[in-house]
Amino acid sequence: MRKIFAVLTIAMMLIGSNVTVADEPSRHATLYRNPECGCCEAYAEYLRKNGFSVTVKLTHSLPLIKRQHNVQRELEGCHTTLVGGYVVEGHVPVGTINRLLSERPAIRGISLPGMPEGSPGMSGPKREPFTIYEITDGSPRVYAVE
Amino acid sequence: MSIVDHAAWTRRGFLTGMGTAVLLAGLPGGTGPTAAATRDFRLRAGVSKTRLLPEPGAETEVWSYNGRVPGPALRVRQGERVRVAVANGLAEETTVHWHGLRLPNRMDGVPHLTQKPIAPGENFVYEFDAPDAGTFWYHPHQRSFEQVGRGLYGPLIVEEREPPAVDRDLTWVLDDWRLLPSAQISDDFGHFHDVSHSGRLGNIATINGRVPETFAVRAGERIRLRLINAANARIFGLEFAEHRPWIIAFDGQPVEPHEPEGGRIVLGPAMRVDIVLDMTGPPGGRFGVTDSFYRGMGYRLVEMVYADTALRPRPPDGPIALPSNPLAEPDIAGAKRHEIIFGGGMMGMMQGARVDGKWTDIRTMARQGLLWAINGVAAAGHVLEPLAALRRGSSHVLAMTNDTAWHHPIHLHGHSFRVLSRNGVPTRRREWQDTVLMNPRERVDIAFVADNPGDWMFHCHVLEHQAAGMTGVIRVA
Repeated sequence: MRKIFAVLTIAMMLIGSNVTVADEPSRHATLYRNPECGCCEAYAEYLRKNGFSVTVKLTHSLPLIKRQHNVQRELEGCHTTLVGGYVVEGHVPVGTINRLLSERPAIRGISLPGMPEGSPGMSGPKREPFTIYEITDGSPRVYAVE
Repeated sequence: MSIVDHAAWTRRGFLTGMGTAVLLAGLPGGTGPTAAATRDFRLRAGVSKTRLLPEPGAETEVWSYNGRVPGPALRVRQGERVRVAVANGLAEETTVHWHGLRLPNRMDGVPHLTQKPIAPGENFVYEFDAPDAGTFWYHPHQRSFEQVGRGLYGPLIVEEREPPAVDRDLTWVLDDWRLLPSAQISDDFGHFHDVSHSGRLGNIATINGRVPETFAVRAGERIRLRLINAANARIFGLEFAEHRPWIIAFDGQPVEPHEPEGGRIVLGPAMRVDIVLDMTGPPGGRFGVTDSFYRGMGYRLVEMVYADTALRPRPPDGPIALPSNPLAEPDIAGAKRHEIIFGGGMMGMMQGARVDGKWTDIRTMARQGLLWAINGVAAAGHVLEPLAALRRGSSHVLAMTNDTAWHHPIHLHGHSFRVLSRNGVPTRRREWQDTVLMNPRERVDIAFVADNPGDWMFHCHVLEHQAAGMTGVIRVA
């Protein structure tokens, strides 16, 4: 099985064992991204500038990673980040992440769906407020607007 | 059966090994070595199970030709006529495209454009000549992002009338698969993330439908290795540790023998590269074949394992040059120039494109599954207004610009073209290709004689990009 890419191993581990990431120190983030996506790397840099340590994991299997973390299709963004026991999907601004980590609600995580212009890591001007949704097993609810 | 067997088979053994499929395929009924013989084959597209993973991994349900992945190797001699009866055992329509073959338009296998798709339970007979010797392949052109992705493809080898002297003539059909821990194919075909980025890449790589273990070789032998990239989207960059492969053909067309730049053989999706691999290592030696295309994501594809006894003290001397194929030489000075711009995708800054003749903003496009465009048009389906209408017999340069942040292997049907330049720098060998890999933001000029009449697809062979708008038609009349 050694020829199987690390990615599959990771995905299998995650998918196969219901791993939670609750033990992770809350200022450490693991960010899964496409190896050729510059915006996602820019987002990792944004997190670092805002006091997080970030481990970037390159993967071509983001759809599998998102599935493992129960990110519904309509809530998908580009990269997927794990921090403080939560999944943070897409280009979520750090203020909302900090609120999540201090409030610690009983949800799986939060998402800024799509790749809106002007969001952290994305180019262009911010055209409208960002609506950040809760990732839960039910239908999406708004967690924050900023 | 492990990959060792695949790789170690002599050509005779290879054919024997493929015997089941070839026999099922009803190999050449009574064809003798007469001139312009017709070679008959049968292919049946259907659902089957195959072993992609080594034991104890489970078998994987795939879509395949004649129950195997890859489908049977169709081998013919240059100049022969090929007749393939295709039966559709799938639950959806299909077609077969003979990738790289310069054949009559109505045999090109493009649904609606060149033929009515083959309905479930129906048949279609493809018949065409094989004018060029080389390494080609076949695959569906109907919903190819899923049909090819689930395993429908096979090699089509056209042998030279006088094949070069090698000890073994082997084919590696390369692919990758996105498997779940159950060893079944993840069914998220057409996932937005894949479509908008680099296409669907998998998490395991296979050679000839198996995750390979070892590749058995002998010191002193000379191998012709035909590499075919059948993946939807993965680009392979192969390095043979401490060995010096020579490239002798791209996309079935001979090229001046040369060592690849940096020792790495790069194959975009749908591309083929023929190499001569001289086994210069010692008996008992072991050397890795690695794929290092994506930075930081390299892995070892397979290990070359030398037998304990040598075949001969050292491989034969001198490179192998293949005889050229009968391609028409484009008149560059007199060629008409066409600007082609590929746009879209993430980080592409494309605001929108024309969809069905109407300008459509990118958000609306995305909701329709369209994210890419050629010359500002995001095409849906196969029957399209031509990007260019070319007078039959005239020479043309396509000046192509990749205005995106992503790689695109660009394929023209029905013709081979010379790759003239990259970013304005002339290529050293002006290689003939039918699929040229464009790097992000790169400009590539290609030239060809429009000598094959019909409406021909011209598209990105990242199959998710093709389905999401990066497709067009070039008319030759």
